Amino acid sequence: MRSEVLYPGAFPMVRIELGAGEQLKAESGAMVASSPTIDVESKMEGGFLGALSRKLLTGEKFFFQTLKANRGAGEVLLAPTVPGEIVIMELDGLNEYMVQKDGFLAGADTVKIESQMQSLSRGLLGGEGFFILKISGKGTLVLNSFGAIHRIDLKPDQEYIVDNSHLVAWSATTSYHIERAAAGWVASFTSGEGFVCRFRGPGVVYIQSRNPGGFGNWIRQFIPVSE
Amino acid sequence: MTIDHLAMDASPNALCFGEALPATGAPCHVGVEPTGLRIRFNGQSEELPESLVQFHDLSVSAGGLHHDHLVVTWGKEAVKRTLYVKDPAVITTFRANAPHELTRDLETVAAGVRRMRARHRMVWTAAAAAILSVGLFLWFGSDLLVDMAVSRIPIEWEQKLGETAYRDVLAQQTVIKGGPAVSAVEEMTGRLTSGLKDSPYQFEVTVVKNDAVNAFALPGGYVVVFTGLMKKAESGDEVAGVLSHELNHVLQRHGMERIVRQLGLFAALSIILGDRQGVAGLARQLSVELLTLRFSREQETEADVTGLRLLHRAKIDPDGIIRFFERLSEKDKDRIELLSTHPMSQARAARLKAESAALPKQVPEPFTFEWKTVQQSLPGS
Repeated sequence: MRSEVLYPGAFPMVRIELGAGEQLKAESGAMVASSPTIDVESKMEGGFLGALSRKLLTGEKFFFQTLKANRGAGEVLLAPTVPGEIVIMELDGLNEYMVQKDGFLAGADTVKIESQMQSLSRGLLGGEGFFILKISGKGTLVLNSFGAIHRIDLKPDQEYIVDNSHLVAWSATTSYHIERAAAGWVASFTSGEGFVCRFRGPGVVYIQSRNPGGFGNWIRQFIPVSE
Repeated sequence: MTIDHLAMDASPNALCFGEALPATGAPCHVGVEPTGLRIRFNGQSEELPESLVQFHDLSVSAGGLHHDHLVVTWGKEAVKRTLYVKDPAVITTFRANAPHELTRDLETVAAGVRRMRARHRMVWTAAAAAILSVGLFLWFGSDLLVDMAVSRIPIEWEQKLGETAYRDVLAQQTVIKGGPAVSAVEEMTGRLTSGLKDSPYQFEVTVVKNDAVNAFALPGGYVVVFTGLMKKAESGDEVAGVLSHELNHVLQRHGMERIVRQLGLFAALSIILGDRQGVAGLARQLSVELLTLRFSREQETEADVTGLRLLHRAKIDPDGIIRFFERLSEKDKDRIELLSTHPMSQARAARLKAESAALPKQVPEPFTFEWKTVQQSLPGS
């Protein structure tokens, strides 16, 4: 399986070459085009209950697509729904990543995806909901973001503060807690930041340069209320 | 004692972090030996030689997002290394082989993690219990809560909300500006509301040209009567009965109760599902919500009962509304808008009749208008 990002920037696609018999899973609806040798199947990752809980709890799509090169090698083109960068990672089997619900685009079949419950304070204040995706295993993982994707490398005990709505993914070796952006409650909200995550290394944190919720609020003012 | 002696090409089971190492950690293989940890990196190099770190140089803690990694550190400054081990087998072997001073720290840490997990579980259980009890309370005791919330909403807000929706409705309808129909409806409203002593509402009733058999009330005292309803009615008492019912939806603030109830549910769901934008979007839904508002059966019953009393106080025949709904139910069952929101069930008819019979007898005062004349003045379709 080989993958490359086409048209890097705001409107990228990812091309993944599959050898005969190889398969990958992708967010449902992500496929743009493919070789005729590739079949698309819907698959409920983690069984029906797993898929249902992922749908209900993380808001992630109920089904993943499985793209399988049944009749020989071929390639697929995948794209996310929102404008923004795509990043390809190779999971080494040791590093595990927590990914916010919209961040997953595709992954090798050997990549394992689970819903993880966060602690109550993280769930309530983190803006990611109570459930996030935990991605482990070995193989290619493709993430997408809203806006550009930026990687922050953290050395052991190094700290970094991230506005929670800009989070895409972070490695499981990091720890984080939620705190107010400013010293006072009023200042926290009037500063427009509300809550932030204080990450502590070692590990990496991927952030997106745009805030989907903020964009939604901005665009909402232009939409006439209809019945 | 199990000593881990694996070949050089053993697959990595830990991540090593340090100043010169990648932020995602350098994959390495950790083996537990009698005196310390043997660490081998993939592909030996000058910077990452195989090394045996003595137990007495180590310090341990728990780390990672879920505190499920064994974190081992040694060295200082530039050569400080931090090892993240998640493999349970390695952790077990480490605990079995490391000297007591080291594992004692580890046990303290592990106990701390267990305590924290227990606390998390407790918080979650408490939260689940709280959500459940709030759910049960909302299910069984929400009326009280909604009443409390509604009573705090100023009448002016309600009027503003109702007015917005009212203007929306009128913009799409042909309003009848004057004539016998309008004066008849005004007379009915006047008689019904004159009995209300300290009502904060200024009722505004509009007749619109529309063949639908319908009438509705918006929060704040805005009532719309369709000409279709006036054509189907056989007397002024019948229309007055419907009007009285609708006025009582306003007086009892049923519209606000529905909104608070729906908003409350949405708000709670949005918060639980982490959709903060959803909450903001709700506010804009409000005026749309008003037009598609359906009252609950309890609210309909309440409006029926108080409506009858209001009719009685205004000296209007309270049986008009009963006759009207019964006649409508017999024919045209499926085509009448009013019936879809106010189904005339056996129980409702019986209840209305019983309520009406319970009222002290009085001779109704006739209206000043002739109903046939009013009907003839209505524009044709």
